[in-house]
Amino acid sequence: MSGRRTSALTALLDEAAQGLWRARRMTVVSVLQIAVSVFLVGVFFLTAENLRGIVETVKDETAVTVFLKAAASEEEKAEIERLAMESRLVARSRRVSTQEAGARFAATWQSLARASSSLASSPFPETIELDLLPDATRSEALPGFLSLLAARKGADDVQFDVDWIRRLRGAVALIAVWGGAVGFFLALGAVFTIANVVRLTILLHRDEIDILRLVGAPEYLIRGPFLIGGLAQGFLGGTLAVGVLYLAFRGVLRYVSATHNVLIGAFIVRFLPPSACALLVVGGLLAGVIGGSIAVRKKHLQA
Amino acid sequence: MIELYHVQKDFRGKRVLRDVSFQMSRGDFVFLTGPSGAGKTTLLKLLFRAEQPSDGQILVNGMNVGAMPPSRIPELRRTMGIVFQDYKLLPTRTVFENVSFVLKFLGVPTQERKRRAYQTLRMVELHHRLSAFPEELSGGEQQRVALARALINEPELLIADEPTGNLDRRLAEEVMKLFTAINVRGTTVLLATHDQDLIRGSGRRCLTLDRGRVLEGLVEPSAPPPAALLERGGPLAEGEP
Repeated sequence: MSGRRTSALTALLDEAAQGLWRARRMTVVSVLQIAVSVFLVGVFFLTAENLRGIVETVKDETAVTVFLKAAASEEEKAEIERLAMESRLVARSRRVSTQEAGARFAATWQSLARASSSLASSPFPETIELDLLPDATRSEALPGFLSLLAARKGADDVQFDVDWIRRLRGAVALIAVWGGAVGFFLALGAVFTIANVVRLTILLHRDEIDILRLVGAPEYLIRGPFLIGGLAQGFLGGTLAVGVLYLAFRGVLRYVSATHNVLIGAFIVRFLPPSACALLVVGGLLAGVIGGSIAVRKKHLQA
Repeated sequence: MIELYHVQKDFRGKRVLRDVSFQMSRGDFVFLTGPSGAGKTTLLKLLFRAEQPSDGQILVNGMNVGAMPPSRIPELRRTMGIVFQDYKLLPTRTVFENVSFVLKFLGVPTQERKRRAYQTLRMVELHHRLSAFPEELSGGEQQRVALARALINEPELLIADEPTGNLDRRLAEEVMKLFTAINVRGTTVLLATHDQDLIRGSGRRCLTLDRGRVLEGLVEPSAPPPAALLERGGPLAEGEP
């Protein structure tokens, strides 16, 4: 009995493969359509991912940076640190030397590192980084505290980029929402494409379906190959899209490395994590399953 | 095997079958005849539930066909073989694939499918054309392939709708001899035809449809049973697949 079930399953897979092969032009069109849809969604994902990466690497939202004057004395530096720790707004304070700042920059902005190292003197001043307490960003005392720091004799400038980072995060969220919306409509297009491809395949196989019904084949054995076909198309389309996206990403990286393009280099940081790649493939697969399911509804099979 | 009680069938307000009642026992060979448009095909379709009766009761192998839920129709059809005038062969598949793909979907392993396809095609004398495509075969050969496909699942009942309608006289007689042989092996046969020459001298029971009503009759025999065909349809020899 179990052997019969295995054979029936093999027959299902075999028929699905033969169906895709017989309608191979339509299969290719369908796979490409899914691949294009998933690829465009992937581009949005990749953009959002890299912008998020920039937000994370540029600055911690709760950190204040005090840029010190080159001539600042040790007493002046210590006074800034004392003032910070007594403010009840700061959790930790640490000094970052010129060399350390340069090393950090080189690690974060690899494409710019060579340019900075070619300068006669280091462009990175010594700084004091202050980690704010969790509630400090909402404190009314914060603006006055920042002004007080800026007025210290050893301080050159005080940077607290929370607004800029918030704006960047807003942009990331917007891109993610747009990506989601565009992805939804593209996925919808892919679903209908697959549904139509499977429906055309069904029309090609209408005689077989009639004959299978007349000889008493169960419905699941009649519909199964078409569903499996849709699923396979979706999987192939999703996988192809992720593959092309990765190749495109590598190509841009190579271009940046060859041309030292600062602007693109600043934005291209990392590829999608495996979970996001899997999500894209599953998205393509779902488009295939839904398209196949729409096509094998009874009214279409009887058409 | 087949029991019909006061069956009626209407199409768009027009009565096609009127108060049709008859019975067939296991092993019977019955002709269903009548002019074109008399309702022969409709009557056959009622038996395998391609159509539902407007009234009356139909029992096939004890199953109430008219009241059967759609989910049980495949089970009903697996007990019978169906042969059509236009063969309904799949042009992109070989003779072997046409005959055996029913078994493929029923989960029968490849070797068993090959063995049964060969055996069934041998019965209709087409075991040497396993790899041929339908377009490479004559009309008579195509109908024999269709017959093999109907028989491969060893049905208890064989329903044929004008199986010789597209064949010339010689091929039609060859196909009819096959039906006779199949019946002698124990399969119940209900064969619809408007060709009176085929029925004449057969010695078979004959149901005539006339304006939607069934008239009973018996045709006088004029030929002996085809013993040679029976031998060809016998068990396989050693070494055959």
